[in-house]
Amino acid sequence: METQLVDLCLKAACESRDSVEKWRRQRRSLEHLPSQLADALLRRLISRYLLFPSLLEVFKHSAEEIDLRGDNNVDAEWFAYIGAFRHLRSLNVSGCRKLTSSALWAVAGMRSLREMDLSRCSKVNDAGIRHLSSVTTLEKLWISETGVSAKGVMLLSSLGNLSVLDLGGLPVTDQALSSLQVLTKLQYLDLWGSNISDKGAALLHMFPRLSFLNLAWTSVTKLPNWLTLECLNMSNCTINLLEGDNGKAPLVKLIVSGATFGEEVADFHYIETTLLTFLDLSKSTILDFSFLSHLNALEHLDLSSTVIGDDSLQLIACIGVNLKYLNLNNTKVSSAGVGNLTGHVPNLQVLSISHTSVDDVTISYIGMMPSLKVIDLSNTNIKGVIYQAETVPVPVREPEPEPEPEHEHEPESVSVLSMSALQSLRHLERLNLADTQVMDAALYPLTSFPKLSHLSLKSASLTDISLNYVSSISKLTNVCIHDGVLTNSGLNSFKPPATLRMMDLRGCWLLTEDVITSFSKTHPQIEVWHDLVHISRSNQTVSNTAPSSRSTLRTSQVKKKHESIPMLECFLDQRLKYSREELLSMQFSSVSLAASIDSGIGICNTQSD
Amino acid sequence: MKKEDTVKLISAEGFEFVVHKDAAMVSQTIRNMLTSPGGFAETEHGEVTFPEISTTILEKICKYFYWNLQFASGKQTEFHIEPELTLELMMAANYLHT
Repeated sequence: METQLVDLCLKAACESRDSVEKWRRQRRSLEHLPSQLADALLRRLISRYLLFPSLLEVFKHSAEEIDLRGDNNVDAEWFAYIGAFRHLRSLNVSGCRKLTSSALWAVAGMRSLREMDLSRCSKVNDAGIRHLSSVTTLEKLWISETGVSAKGVMLLSSLGNLSVLDLGGLPVTDQALSSLQVLTKLQYLDLWGSNISDKGAALLHMFPRLSFLNLAWTSVTKLPNWLTLECLNMSNCTINLLEGDNGKAPLVKLIVSGATFGEEVADFHYIETTLLTFLDLSKSTILDFSFLSHLNALEHLDLSSTVIGDDSLQLIACIGVNLKYLNLNNTKVSSAGVGNLTGHVPNLQVLSISHTSVDDVTISYIGMMPSLKVIDLSNTNIKGVIYQAETVPVPVREPEPEPEPEHEHEPESVSVLSMSALQSLRHLERLNLADTQVMDAALYPLTSFPKLSHLSLKSASLTDISLNYVSSISKLTNVCIHDGVLTNSGLNSFKPPATLRMMDLRGCWLLTEDVITSFSKTHPQIEVWHDLVHISRSNQTVSNTAPSSRSTLRTSQVKKKHESIPMLECFLDQRLKYSREELLSMQFSSVSLAASIDSGIGICNTQSD
Repeated sequence: MKKEDTVKLISAEGFEFVVHKDAAMVSQTIRNMLTSPGGFAETEHGEVTFPEISTTILEKICKYFYWNLQFASGKQTEFHIEPELTLELMMAANYLHT
């Protein structure tokens, strides 16, 4: 961490190209620069897009780390300079797509390099690995999704100090893997998407220190089970048998998302139940969840898109004491099941039950899970209102009676706003109610949520009244109101909370471009998203999102067209001009027009219809 | 300015800067020198010599000390650093822990 004056100096040094020119000739100072300052200066130059190959040269005596990830300019010229770095310990060029194998030649003789990340450098192939194989100091190497073949992987056997090796997405064969057995220091091995079979997987226990293993998307069917393994990923595999000794693996983390289980392994008897804290079973074929009742240490449990139902939630309640994350998306879980959990999950912070049939009764149960920070209720039957006339089970905690907002249209039925049950959640930060049946009035209780910072809504029945409530949520930073029928006048009179930084109004088809633009001029701190326009907070550049306006020529043409059409004010309130049927028929056309060549013309066409 | 409230900072070339102790103690390194009970020579004479820091840089450092005090008391002004000085000043700031 830099001190304040060091930070000011870094800022001043990286102000512009000119300021760089002022110090780059000070050779003596640069040679004496302590490595942590050199690394900080390099980082700052990279983030300000001020680094170019020959400038790298001045750091060759000082820098220990270079992180150029995602920079598409990096090529052999950059590496010619990097090769001369005396003390370079870590080099990250992941995602530098221009980088070729021959560029890596410059790295070949380096004596200090410990870590190298070449992930997603698709032009790097076996020839590049040949250059790397002489850098025997390497301890961590990432070459996932490169052009390296099984032959290239075999060349890695000369890197005897490797402890971390990422071979994800490479066609590693059993034979190639067996040639890596000399890498006895290996602790982390990533082989997702490789051509490894059970034969190759049987060799894996020859790595005496291996604790992290990723075999996702392979044809391995035997679940490795030996005494060093702590973290295992076998997502999207078909798992039938156990591999290894009969002891229990000290697994802390098990990810078997999308896996198909055979009978012998589906009961997880081989797991040391006191250690497992992270279990991802999403999309897997597990039918019997009774094993869950033994997993007392669980903190993270993902059961989304499994066949779990209400009865199995009882099992989760038994082990809920340590649970912090629970995902039940896309399951048969109903409100009654969620009720089983109340009182048993004192530490639950994240609860996700979207795409289920839960209704408003669930909300009153959720209101009794005291540590919740994030709740996802999207795509459910939540209405936000419970009508007492209907025969719904009475929620355990009676929400406050409705404070009668002035726009209430059903005076005869006694209703309570279910969301008020969440007011007792002191830590609630994020709430997702997208694609529910929530109407404006149901949002009233949100205004008294003390910490709510992220709110997502998506419904065609949300109107300007929702904006009214949003403006009184005191800590709100991000709000999404998709597909609402917000109007220009509603947005004009909207007083955003002082904390608001992002407002996503995509699909609010009644809003026009100039009203959104003027809104963000009045509130420059807010980033605004809409189908017609995207205004980012940092530099206040207005970009038409739909067409990727790469050429400035086109944007200037659009501007000209805008200027040449007078009376832009006439579509401030389009509802007055069109009948409801006409508006509905235009809902999709305006979006598709916006997606056509330029949005300016799109609006004009709609107007002239 | 009483003598016991000040401290003398001496640059590589021998130039002396007399600054308030409060200001000098913006630097954690100087603070340690002046307050440590071990009896540094610096503590007794109220003088610190920096054979590695040139006059120009030490002058800038002293200005920063006072700017920092003002900044902390709520006067928000910009502290301008000439690009030519950034490297040397950065190293001095790193050494002085300020």
